[in-house]
Amino acid sequence: MAQYREAPLATRPQTLDPNEYLELNPEQRKAQQERLAIRSRLKLQYLSQLNNPRRTELIEDPALTRWSYARTLNHIYPNFRPSPKTSLLGFVCGVVPLFFWYYVFKTDRDHKEKLIREGMERPFSLSS
Amino acid sequence: MAFLPALPSSRLRSRGGEMALSGCWFRFLTRGIRKTLPPAGGSACARAASGLSKDMLPGPYPRTPEERAIAAKKYNMRVEDYEPYADDGMGFGDYPKLPNRSQQERDPWYTWDEPDLRRNWGEPMHWDFDMYIRNRVDTSPSPVEWIRMVKYLGGFIGFMLFMFCLGELFPSYQPVAPKQYPYNNLYLENGGELDKEPPEVIHYEI
Repeated sequence: MAQYREAPLATRPQTLDPNEYLELNPEQRKAQQERLAIRSRLKLQYLSQLNNPRRTELIEDPALTRWSYARTLNHIYPNFRPSPKTSLLGFVCGVVPLFFWYYVFKTDRDHKEKLIREGMERPFSLSS
Repeated sequence: MAFLPALPSSRLRSRGGEMALSGCWFRFLTRGIRKTLPPAGGSACARAASGLSKDMLPGPYPRTPEERAIAAKKYNMRVEDYEPYADDGMGFGDYPKLPNRSQQERDPWYTWDEPDLRRNWGEPMHWDFDMYIRNRVDTSPSPVEWIRMVKYLGGFIGFMLFMFCLGELFPSYQPVAPKQYPYNNLYLENGGELDKEPPEVIHYEI
């Protein structure tokens, strides 16, 4: 087989991947065939809808519907469960910023107040 | 083909379903206390019959192998390929966990059903599909290894930050001195008297 070097920013095409067809055991081949069968059935469904001359509406994609539904709160909240990971995330995102920004702003403002009182900082000076 | 009512795009339909649900909650709250109890027969909320049925939509995490098989069939995947996200309460449910590969990595020459998205109809979409489109995050291999790029960039930024910090701590500039005025520090101009001796002003130091 000729030595194929893929283009710099591309991955090797699946058909030229040696793992695809060299030393493939029967289970892997069967898996490939099953995937191909699923893909062909879906393709047939899609193309028959696409090329139907009497179709007037858009072709609905259930996978797209499922994806958009999965990202809504109607799906996320029922599957939410207080676990160590979610509790930690909630604490880090909800509670820690309050204290963190309080300390940052307080320290900065106190330092600025000290400078102004000493006269080292003049925010509204008109003469200089 | 049998007559099908004109359906809007699937995204609008799912939003319409949610709006119907939220409208149901609003009715719940605005009615009196007596009427909020649901009737014994079924639920007081009604859901539109258009769109996918509840068993075709994503659901909770599959616990038994039968549930996994049903979920794999629902998502048009093989049972062996189907792998849901870990059940740690993050809200994924039974949505499949697909490899984190961007659409840019897919074969540009294959006849995809949607060539711009490089996706086929009915193919399960990655959870972060809108992140992995070709205009956005790209996971295709880089000409230089990632870690080398990180080291180069991090090294450069770190070095520049370090040098700027040093410049702030140890500033260096042209030597400056207070302004020196002639004529004994402008003695007469500053209101000195004509007869008096102006004080000697020496601006140097030996």
